[in-house]
Formats: sequence, C-alpha cells, structure tokens
Amino acid sequence: MAGNLIEVTDLHVTYRTASTDVLAVRGLNLTVGAGQSTGIVGESGSGKSTVAKALVGLVPPTSGSIRIDGDLVAGERAKGYHRGSRWKVQMIFQDPYGSLDPRQQPLDAVLEAIQHWRKLSKAQARTEALDLLKSVGITERQATSGLRALSGGQRQRISIARALAPSPQVLVADEPTSSLDQSAQAAILNLLRRIQAERGLSVIFISHDLGLVRYLTEDVIVMKDGFVVEQGPTDQVLHHPTQEYTQRLIASALA
Amino acid sequence: MAELPGAGLATAQAAAPGTDPQIVVDPRKPYLDVDHLQIGLQRDGLPLHIVDTVTVSLLPGASLGIVGESGSGKTMLCRSFTGTLGRYGVGITGGRLSIAGHDLTNAREKDWRPIRGRAVGYVPQSSLAGLNPVLTVETQLLEALGLGSRTLTKAQARIEARQLLDMVKIPRADAVLHERSHQLSGGMRQRVMIAAALALRPPLLVLDEPTTALDVTVQYEILVLIRQLREELGMGLILVSHDLAVVEFLCSQVMTMYAGATVEIGASENIRSRPRHPYTNALLHSRLGMAERGKDLVAIPGESPAVGAWPEGCRFWPRCSSAADACRTGAQPAPRLVDGHLTACIRAEDVT
Ligand SMILES: Nc1ncnc2c1ncn2[C@@H]1O[C@H](COP(=O)(O)OP(=O)(O)OP(=O)(O)O)[C@@H](O)[C@H]1O
Ligand SMILES: Nc1ncnc2c1ncn2[C@@H]1O[C@H](COP(=O)(O)OP(=O)(O)OP(=O)(O)O)[C@@H](O)[C@H]1O
Ligand code: SF4
Ligand SMILES: [Mg+2]
Ligand SMILES: [Mg+2]
Repeated sequence: MAGNLIEVTDLHVTYRTASTDVLAVRGLNLTVGAGQSTGIVGESGSGKSTVAKALVGLVPPTSGSIRIDGDLVAGERAKGYHRGSRWKVQMIFQDPYGSLDPRQQPLDAVLEAIQHWRKLSKAQARTEALDLLKSVGITERQATSGLRALSGGQRQRISIARALAPSPQVLVADEPTSSLDQSAQAAILNLLRRIQAERGLSVIFISHDLGLVRYLTEDVIVMKDGFVVEQGPTDQVLHHPTQEYTQRLIASALA
Repeated sequence: MAELPGAGLATAQAAAPGTDPQIVVDPRKPYLDVDHLQIGLQRDGLPLHIVDTVTVSLLPGASLGIVGESGSGKTMLCRSFTGTLGRYGVGITGGRLSIAGHDLTNAREKDWRPIRGRAVGYVPQSSLAGLNPVLTVETQLLEALGLGSRTLTKAQARIEARQLLDMVKIPRADAVLHERSHQLSGGMRQRVMIAAALALRPPLLVLDEPTTALDVTVQYEILVLIRQLREELGMGLILVSHDLAVVEFLCSQVMTMYAGATVEIGASENIRSRPRHPYTNALLHSRLGMAERGKDLVAIPGESPAVGAWPEGCRFWPRCSSAADACRTGAQPAPRLVDGHLTACIRAEDVT
C-alpha cells in the first residue's frame, strides 16, 4: 500500500537463550499511515516491547519484513537502517532509568540527537534543544546538570525530548508516561498530540492504560503470548471486543 | 543502568551479632518520626533545598501513601529513611529524623550500616532495572541476607533465601533461585526485589513506585501480595505512587507533596472525598481515565517549579486558581488542621 509510513508483514521474533527459545512475536501485520496512531495492548510479557524494538532495529526479526516510508529496513534482503532513514524512527523507552547514558549531560543527549540527523549550526541546535526540553518541562539548569540529580519523571521527559529531537516521522512510544504524575502525563500527551498533528507523525503507542489508548489511537492491536488476538479500529475493539482475552483485559482494567 | 545497581539489595548488611543496635518497636511510639525535615545540598556556595519541610510520623504497622508532583522530593524522602542520601550528593540539612528508637538526623554511613535493612526494607524506584543482570537471584538474596557480614552459614542462608521466595509467593521457586533477571517477567522481578527488602525482617517496608512498569493484572497481584505480607508480618508500609487508586488500596493515610513540602496529609478516604488543598484537588481532577478524544487532557496549568526556583509564599500560587494576595508573600504555609486533616493552604476554608 502506498502512503503508509509503517508496513510490517508477518513479523516473527524469537529470542534464543541458553536454555530455551522464547517466541516473543509470532506473526504480526501492521500498517500505519502518516499522522495515524496505532496502540498495542496486552498483558505483561505478551511481546509489545519486542515489536517496538524490532521497529527501531534493536532486535532482528526471525522472519517477516518491516518497511519504513517505503524502505525495507528489516527482513530478507533488507539493507537495514541506513544513515538516511534511521532518524525517521525514534523510540521512547519504558524505563526512564535505563535509557539514558549517566555519563552524558541531558542537554548533550538532545543536542547530539538533533545534530546527528540534521545539519544545523551549533547555536541553532542548542536553541532548538533547549526549546524542546522546555516544552517537556525541563529547565536549562536541569538540562545541564548530571543525570543523578534528576527524578524519575524528569529523566523520562528528557528521553521524550531526545526522541523528538531529530523530527522523526515515526515515534514508537513504549509506556512513555507511566512514570509521571497524572498532570504531567496530561501535559506531555497534549504536547505529543500537537506535534503529531503539526508534523504528521505516525505513532505506535504501547500502554497498559486502555483509557489512554482509546484516547490517543485510531487502531489497536491486542497481543497475548506473541500472537495477535484481535486487531482493528480502537473504538470497535475496545467497545465491542470479539475475543474473550480482550474482554478480560478490559474488565481487569476497569476493576 | 539502574538508578544504583542493586541499591535495594546491597542496603541489607548487618554487623556482628551482639553489637547490633536494637530495633525498637514500641506500639505506643512512632516507629518513624520525621519532624520538619529538610534535605538539600550546597550549590555555588549557597544552600539548595530539595525537601523543605516534611513532618510525618508513623506508628508501628501503620501505612502511609505519598503522592505528588514529579520532582517534588518523594524519592529523596525515601532515601533519607534508608541513609542513602549521601550517594546522591545530598544530605539532611535541618529538622529531625528518627527510626526504630534511633535519632538518625546526623547519622553517618557507619551508623547506618548495622541498621539499614533491619530497620527499613527498601524497594527503590526503577527497581525492575535494579537487579544485577549477571548474578543469579540466589546470589543476590544471599547478599541481602547479609551473608559475609552476619554469622550465618551458607547452608542456612540458602534455606532462608528459598523461604524468602516462598514468602513473596514465587512459583517454581527452586528454579527461579538459579535464574537471572532477564529471564524473569516484570512481576517476578518485583517479587524478588520485595523478597530482598524483607530479608532482615524490617518492621517497615518502603516502596517507591513499585507497580508503574507493570500491567494492571500483575500490578493487582503485587498489591495483593503487599497487603498479605503486611497482615502476615504486621509490617508498616510507606508507598510512593502517582496513582491515587494504588495508594488508596493499600494505605490508610496519604500525604501529598508539592515542591519539597508536605501540602496535605490525613486519612485516605477523607482526602479523596474532601481534598483541602487546591493542589491535591487538581491532582484528583487530572485523572486521565476521563479523557475525551480530540480534546486536550486536563493538566494543571503552568510548570512545576524547579528546585532552587520555588516562588515566595505558597509554592503552588503561580498555578493555583484560588491564589490571593496573601498567598504570594511570606513562607510556605505550615500544614494546619482543617476538617480532620492537615492542609498547607491558608485559604482552605474558602476554596475547597
Ligand atoms: N532479551 C531477552 N532475552 C530473552 N527473552 C526475552 C528478552 N526480552 C524479552 N524476552 C521475553 O520475551 C517475551 C516478550 O517480552 P516483551 O518485553 O516484548 O513483553 P511486553 O509485552 O513488552 O511486556 P511488559 O508489559 O511487561 O513490558 C517475554 O516472555 C520476555 O520474558
Ligand atoms: N544533586 C542535585 N542537585 C540539584 N537538584 C537535585 C539534586 N538531586 C536531586 N535534585 C532535585 O530534587 C528533586 C527531588 O527529586 P526526587 O527524585 O525526590 O523526586 P520525586 O518526587 O521522586 O519525582 P518522580 O515522581 O519524578 O520520581 C528533583 O527536582 C531533582 O531535580
Ligand atoms: S495558599 Fe493560596 S495559592 Fe496556596 S494553595 Fe492555598 S489558595 Fe492556592
Ligand atoms: Mg514492555
Ligand atoms: Mg521518584
């Protein structure tokens, strides 16, 4: 299909460990157009983060293919991400403590993300980085202090700014705001929605919060044990689930 | 990288038997007593406050939930209860802290070492990343049990490690003992972290955001486990969470923090049904569950003030829709009793 920013065909991912093979993703198909968003929900261990990591090239698919903006980035005969396309897909990780380099100043992390993918003068890049950080609620002082001096929520805001820095076309957000208080979550998600509308950003939104998934996405994928159990327009799937598993997921979310 | 690799586990180290300071649990006296506590550091030669001030006390076996703004000092407060502030370049700069009958306000590392882990069990924020990926679960539990510093034979410690896993109801415990963290699901890892915190049977358990990274079903299982453990062990609980529902499920008391200060504290149902501070009130109203597609989510307007840039007067005034002139001068209001609980709003009677 033309016009799709993300096209995933029959994705399988297996982790090979010393003792066993974990079939983390077992057949997933997905298309997302520019400016559209798709949610992924499912119980812990169902394979959501693995899909996310495959999309950004952090884990190789065992079979199947991934196209980003028409480029085959993973799968048979894929060239992988090359310099020209890598910036197009950015990810916000689940864990604010694990995803930032403690030896690097937050501002430098964002600056690097800007300058690596776009040609800007140093001064321009710095202004842009500080603006971006400010929009997620991080002051210059905080941005130039050590990571150790920042709270869990502040770290997560920095990873959000860093992901947005290269002006990506696709944002893979894995529980992006679950470490923030309710008001901060609201502020950041409003920002994300604004950027999405302005730039036609496609978003993959992974969350345990079905209310937020309903609010933010047009389509949704329900996963269990690596399988897709249900997939379709978010309103339809979450209001009229056809699968028992989805029904249970919705029931436990409300309890 | 974890916040501090193995922070929760390495804390449990006991001194030689006989020399251990006593952990006093007197049912009539607060087990934890925090009085006008300040936490901070020197920056550019000037004092910088991170927590200023918190007053709270907890009887043995009692429970307290802490909610509040990201960056308001919740984690720093928890670190002060475990004597780990120094690892982050900060310290107690005022007020008083006492736990288990010991005044720990000016305690140094050597004072903390024999108490830490026995007085307070701590599961730090980000603890899902806190297990050491190269060590087995058993090795880490043995460390938490104080093997090496306590007179405990290895065989005995192994039995205790196994018992700890039973305590937190881990299925396949014998196998899990020999696994490493990446082989465990988020829920299982959190159980192991809790087991480690319980190793020296502390009368108080401090959990910093224990369920944020878990899905609703696993979250519920962990919350139920914590509740059961409290019943079985008669343990006190301090739980930090930005999810008020989680706090209410486990804690009879709740404290709201904003910009380093206690702004409201009292019985959970009371605060939920009748918040007496505009910040708590706003927090309750920014529940995301009510989101309507196409409309903006409700957030408290303005930005949270950074440490070192707190406004004069009530620290919440620039974002408070009820602020009046009197709110903008003087010091942060001290909490006072209104309607059965404490609020730091000078206009509580008029505005909530
Ligand atoms: N590096 C790895 N090596 C081996 N197994 C792994 C690895 N990463 C994940 N797994 C396993 O793959 C499965 C899917 O994990 P994944 O992290 O994708 O789940 P998830 O849906 O994101 O879960 P959560 O909601 O807890 O974040 C799980 O069984 C997990 O234990
Ligand atoms: N060394 C330091 N220098 C300056 N500020 C610091 C330092 N260490 C911590 N801070 C600040 O102290 C504040 C309190 O941090 P803390 O981690 O306790 O927040 P929190 O309430 O737990 O937030 P979250 O909900 O995001 O985890 C933060 O604003 C942080 O930036
Ligand atoms: S003291 Fe004033 S500014 Fe502060 S919360 Fe109360 S009404 Fe608002
Ligand atoms: Mg995940
Ligand atoms: Mg914290």
